[in-house]
Amino acid sequence: MQSKTLGWILLAPTLLILFFFGVLPFIYVVFVSFHQWNPFAVDPEMVFNGADNFRQIVFDPAFLNSIGVTVLFVLFAVVSELILGYVLAQAFMRDFPGKAIFRTIHTLPLIMAPIIVGSVWKLMTTPSIGIIPKFLDDWFGITMNIATSAPAAFATVVIMDIWHWTPLVTLTLIAALVSLPSDPFEQAQIDGANKRQIFWHITLPMIAPAVVATVFIRLMDALRTVDEVWMLTGGGPGSATRFVGVHIFKEVFPKTNYGYGSTISVVVLYLTIVACWLLYVTMLAPRSKKD
Amino acid sequence: MSFAFKIGASALALTVAATSAFAEIDAAWWKAAAEPYQGVTIRGVTESSPPSLYIREVLAPEFEALTGIRVDVETTSWDQMFDKAIKDMEAGTGIYDMAYIEQDIIYSYLSRDFLTDLTQFLADNPDLKAGTYDESNFTTFADYFKDDAGHLYGVPMEAFLKVYLYRTDLFNDPDIQAAFKEKTGRDLAPATTHAEYAEIAQFFTDYGNENDMDLWGTTAQAHTGHVASWYEYFESVAPTFGVYNWGIDADNNYGASVENGGEMNSPEAVEAMEWWLSMRDIAPPESPASTWTEVGTTFGAGRAAQGLVYGENAGWIAADETKSLVVGKVGVALPPLKDGILEEVEGGTGYIGYYDGGAFGMPHSSKNKEATALFLQYIGQNEVQPDWAVAAPRVTNTATYDDPKVQEMNTKLSGYYDLIKDKGYLFAGAPAYPFHAQVREATAPVFYQILTGDLGVQEGLDQMAATAETTLTELGYRK
Repeated sequence: MQSKTLGWILLAPTLLILFFFGVLPFIYVVFVSFHQWNPFAVDPEMVFNGADNFRQIVFDPAFLNSIGVTVLFVLFAVVSELILGYVLAQAFMRDFPGKAIFRTIHTLPLIMAPIIVGSVWKLMTTPSIGIIPKFLDDWFGITMNIATSAPAAFATVVIMDIWHWTPLVTLTLIAALVSLPSDPFEQAQIDGANKRQIFWHITLPMIAPAVVATVFIRLMDALRTVDEVWMLTGGGPGSATRFVGVHIFKEVFPKTNYGYGSTISVVVLYLTIVACWLLYVTMLAPRSKKD
Repeated sequence: MSFAFKIGASALALTVAATSAFAEIDAAWWKAAAEPYQGVTIRGVTESSPPSLYIREVLAPEFEALTGIRVDVETTSWDQMFDKAIKDMEAGTGIYDMAYIEQDIIYSYLSRDFLTDLTQFLADNPDLKAGTYDESNFTTFADYFKDDAGHLYGVPMEAFLKVYLYRTDLFNDPDIQAAFKEKTGRDLAPATTHAEYAEIAQFFTDYGNENDMDLWGTTAQAHTGHVASWYEYFESVAPTFGVYNWGIDADNNYGASVENGGEMNSPEAVEAMEWWLSMRDIAPPESPASTWTEVGTTFGAGRAAQGLVYGENAGWIAADETKSLVVGKVGVALPPLKDGILEEVEGGTGYIGYYDGGAFGMPHSSKNKEATALFLQYIGQNEVQPDWAVAAPRVTNTATYDDPKVQEMNTKLSGYYDLIKDKGYLFAGAPAYPFHAQVREATAPVFYQILTGDLGVQEGLDQMAATAETTLTELGYRK
């Protein structure tokens, strides 16, 4: 009993912080999402408008476009990071000359703040000045201008995200691979399984929880990407990289459309939860049932 | 140069600067007035621009040394500055005692009573009124920060024109002049019309191409995802074609479309957009990724023969050899205009370009109003202006024009200060719209689609006008 009380007392500061900085703001955002509120309107007060904002969102082409490009971005970025991260993790499981240096360099992007990553990539990709367009032009005669070409801008943002976050995937998959027991692999080899069979039937199922956790983290991060894209393209050209995070930022801050912006935030949170749940159901639930 | 030497030199420079300023102001009065506020720290938030950096690095330390009141000035990006200031004033938290008020946001702030009436505050607290501070010292730019009663809500700290800069070394080169004459049949001189400007721009873009030079005929602030492009069109290009106040008629139920009395999609607006896009197409390749900052950098790097450049960048472009490759090679002129516009503006209708600038205001939520009032007066005195104007080309006080240091700088800037003084009346700040950011943000996505070619000019402007009217209706301005 005493230890239980002590436990709650020790937990209390964390719970209080979580309540005030997590739960309470969330409840407030949900509350605001049912209001029309722009402090620079003729009537600057919050006006309750029921589900009007939610109804409006369904027909808002700007929001739907931002969802569309975000889903594409998440798909390209997270899948690429997963594949590349696994390949690198497997590479780091072996010994090769310069492995320690390569691993350190490979991990460096992780310690950079997203806003810095965006700035660096902006410098590298600015038309006619950046190193990437220059060498693409000098070596291959390709003109790259992310300010005018929507596909180039989108691809650059995806590549930037892959560069930034693949190391995280690599590290988590290395941790998962290192912890695997060697017996099943030895038995499979004795039974004559080839590498592909070992990967599909032993490695992947055994590291699935780590893969799902990694995908969850990256999925949630990618869905709320703002800083890097903000610095690199500002959401342009046009709305080619106006991901939902950027859309919310522009709606809430410069436009001060607090009510509608909150609605978008709530809907995006809901969609994120649904996406994660679907992922969980398709990847892990069948396995738990089998177990 | 060793670190210790740099520190020593900086301290010496600061002391000299402080001493020279102190020599002209009543140090005893400032010390006495600040006596009750010892230990107080006042905080300000502003954009990271040359004038603001001068406040942080020179004026704030001077004031601290003089009064003992500590001043923390936070310099940040343009959008972050607004975000932080608005949140603070909206919530009434009182984190900031001073906030930079850009001329275009003042009407939004006034509509929400975010700011302290400085005229009234000093009238109510005569003990805090400095003898060297007088609102009548300011240029007419201060009028943008006054209410209908003539009360001031912000101490002007920067004011510039967005001017037409051109490369004097190129324009005065006899070989280039001859080539231009041969190609166009006229003498090479700064453009006064859009046709002339376009002709010069095309000539220099071709010239750079033919001579394998990194030189283009014009700048273009044409970012495809940043509001800088929106501003260049509405503040600097459209007015030169006779489209004022973003094409919105405030006296006609805030109509934006021609159908409802506005001009946002008028033939003049279309003509302006098409001309500007044609200039963008022969500008340096970085132009679709350029905001106001990059335009300055492009010109300073010698990559453009002419362009419309914010005055806050004109100083370093023309005089700072550590940053600019065109020092001593920059001329200043009025922007090119459509026939009849100058006469129209001189007759009292419209304007030919943007009178940019801002002031330091005191949020209503400030918890250190007395100490802040002292600092705001300090930066508003005539005595601190000349060095500030030299460090960052901004003039907010009438007397500053005649100071020898400023006159010397004026020569380096090819008469930029004379242009502000003599022709400033032709320019105007942003229209008095409390919904400035809201309409801008609502229409900007459509605007970007025009820039990327996803929408035609007429179609895009039609959509922008419709979007502006919808937004104004939602906000309650348009009935």
